[in-house]
Amino acid sequence: MNDFGDIESELKKLRPARPSADLLQRIENAIVDLSAEKRIIRPHQFRLHWLSFGASLAAAAVVLLFLRFDFHTNMTPQNIASQTPAATKPVPTTFIPAGATQVVYHMRDEGLYYPADSEEPVRRVRSRTHETLQWRNPTTGASLQVSYPAERVEFIPMSGQ
Amino acid sequence: MDNVATREQWKTVFCELAPGLVLFARQWVRSSADAEDIVQDAFVKFWRRHHKIDNRALLYATVRSTALDLIRRDSRRARREIEASADADQTIAPEFYTDDESQRALVSALERLPNEQREVLVMKIWNELTFAEIAQALEISQNTAASRYRYALTALKKDLQPQ
Repeated sequence: MNDFGDIESELKKLRPARPSADLLQRIENAIVDLSAEKRIIRPHQFRLHWLSFGASLAAAAVVLLFLRFDFHTNMTPQNIASQTPAATKPVPTTFIPAGATQVVYHMRDEGLYYPADSEEPVRRVRSRTHETLQWRNPTTGASLQVSYPAERVEFIPMSGQ
Repeated sequence: MDNVATREQWKTVFCELAPGLVLFARQWVRSSADAEDIVQDAFVKFWRRHHKIDNRALLYATVRSTALDLIRRDSRRARREIEASADADQTIAPEFYTDDESQRALVSALERLPNEQREVLVMKIWNELTFAEIAQALEISQNTAASRYRYALTALKKDLQPQ
């Protein structure tokens, strides 16, 4: 950088204008206010709770669907026979997973996010998807399909950048 | 880390860094009031997240992301800033105290630098960040940071040469 020594020293002689006198006071006030509300739950925590709640709800719905199929599968042949005419052959209702697709139709980088109690920021990426799960009954050829929209928020560490 | 206990230290650090931080923020907004708002938001965010006081790269990255978030959030402001930048043919000029004609010429030459070169120059000269810190703050490689710095100085020298 020796070639640039003269221009660097000229640049260093330029002094940036001082910020306004009340900036420090404003920052100090903001810090005091934040200290006071340390125990208040912040809006972003609410958002995360709502996301967790939505994800739990979706998971519960899927579990309920499976439980419903298990219930039918666990029926003894006697039970099935008692509910169907004697001449009719019992039809197995075992569905097996046949496929799952996930279509990402929207993805947005929401910039830096500062997780609580973390030293480093992470990048928050929100994606909206349409997911489809399929089951098939190999005996009867019947199929079942469940589709639902989903929204995911991923936090990508910025380490190494 | 107890932020309340170290508030005096934070004040000292802020007083030291404030002019450089505001200068850095002014690359994205035209008015010094907006730049100060950005610095305030970023500094408080940085403090609230209990970052280490000496992690300057992260502090500058926070100022940068706060400025970009502000512009993204406020489309009217963004349009205004873009129009202002277009009018000036380049992005926003930093504010300096100038004593003589040669310094005013230097400031004018700075205004003509491409934004990506000037932000490296601002971080290096007036904030005394290392190339490693600049690279981390701007999410670029150290070589790129050093190259932009070199290009900026070359452009300034060329600009200031007598015709």
